[in-house]
Amino acid sequence: MVNPGKRMNILKTLLNLRHGPGAAILPPEISRLHMDFALRWNDGHMGPRKFWKTCLPRLKFWNPAVPMIINRSSNNAGPATLSIYFRQAAAAAPTPTGSAAAKVNHITPLAQQPHSSTINECPAPPPAEGERVVTIEMKHQHSDAILQEFLQKTGATVLRPSPDEENEMRQAEDLKERAAIDRSIMKKYIDDKRAEERLLARAREEAEAIRLANQ
Amino acid sequence: MASTSQFLASLARLSISSPASRPAASSVPRFLAPSATTQIRCASGGTAQMQARQREKDKLKRKRRQQRFKEYKYAVPSGKGEQFSLCDAMRYLRAAEVGRPPSSVTYEVALKVRTIKNGPVIRNRIRFPYPVKNDTRVGVICPEGSNAMHDARTAGAVAFGEQSLFELIKANANNLPFNRLICHTDSVQALNKAGLGRVLGPKGLMPSLKTNTITKNVKAMMNEMVGAETYREKIGVIRIPIGNIQFSPKQLSENVKTFIESIKGDIARMEDRVDKDIIEVVLCSTNGPGFTLNGGFLPTDEKVEPADLATAM
Repeated sequence: MVNPGKRMNILKTLLNLRHGPGAAILPPEISRLHMDFALRWNDGHMGPRKFWKTCLPRLKFWNPAVPMIINRSSNNAGPATLSIYFRQAAAAAPTPTGSAAAKVNHITPLAQQPHSSTINECPAPPPAEGERVVTIEMKHQHSDAILQEFLQKTGATVLRPSPDEENEMRQAEDLKERAAIDRSIMKKYIDDKRAEERLLARAREEAEAIRLANQ
Repeated sequence: MASTSQFLASLARLSISSPASRPAASSVPRFLAPSATTQIRCASGGTAQMQARQREKDKLKRKRRQQRFKEYKYAVPSGKGEQFSLCDAMRYLRAAEVGRPPSSVTYEVALKVRTIKNGPVIRNRIRFPYPVKNDTRVGVICPEGSNAMHDARTAGAVAFGEQSLFELIKANANNLPFNRLICHTDSVQALNKAGLGRVLGPKGLMPSLKTNTITKNVKAMMNEMVGAETYREKIGVIRIPIGNIQFSPKQLSENVKTFIESIKGDIARMEDRVDKDIIEVVLCSTNGPGFTLNGGFLPTDEKVEPADLATAM
């Protein structure tokens, strides 16, 4: 735990967790998401990986009730798919908060539900009764393209930051820029100091050599 | 330099000793000064030994005055926006940890404590109402068909017995069904005779008195072993894993409460007059940022229910 001042600067970037690509509210009929791709990025698995790292946290933040499972395997030749599970309108009356999804999931104990895995433990489950699956092929695709297709297929509403938040984001950005400048100044200072020390050391060595030669 | 300082000191003393006339330091005629220094030297000076003794006394006095000891630095988070309710913090952390296997992700708590540097530290064991790791599988070595074996079976040991267990250990040494092994006192001789030290020793499973894994009361030992967690204060902070990422807010809040109660109990129980107090409670997760908790529970966003924060990860 670092000191609060430092930590608060880091927490400012919480805005990054709220706003940016992927900040969208999913319609209530979406019951869960499942991603299936490889651990390493070769063979076109970079897009899905980036989508997970950049967009999925924001999606999860705005839709905390929707389970988002990521099943990764060491098989790079395998497919990279994103499955979106739609609840059929008839099966469950869509509630505004999506707590129906939670209810459905609480029927089976948590330990037996599919969970994220790095060893291919939980491949995409077949759709349950009254569910419909839409898949997105993610292989060899850029994460932006994946996001666009995802938003289009789910019909999610994209969130925009409020003016206040935009302002704060700009401040955080400024802080980052200033940090970069400060860092370069500091680096120059340290480098100069080291160069000088090196010069001095060499001069001293030479003096020593001359002294030894004279003796 | 020393002489001038002494001279000034003597002047000061002179002025105190004669408050009636009170000459200003600068107004003292210069011809008076040498005589004044010599006077004082005679009055307070003395041999080097005496001066040394005086210095010693002063040091003691200063030491007695210094009752406050050095503390670890801390800063109190101020302002309302910097603290989070439990559900808010959980929402952020779950977002930060999305897609990670839940077995490798835990909620953690860091408790900042105001404490002196050279004082006693808080250290204890705690059993959470909802244990963080429930993968402790205990094997019990006990005489076949004894009471202890019955106890082990009812307490949920994965493997028990004597000769049968030894054979099992020898047969698949690399794939043992348990990760803790305890031994009943009646079976110690049989265990030593079986010569399993080579198999169990490197895995740290060999029961011994030193590791406190030989017992008369199998049941109590197993209870103690499952789900107990040790914590210890290090440079003013106590850190401990407090919950699985799949815990519901209610479970997590109960764990946090238990933990803080336990710490408060530890502080109260400390002997001497140590005053430690809790400054802040920070909730973080394995890969997530840290959130100072404000003691509240409900999320600030009405659209999110606590139940939503317990779905599969």
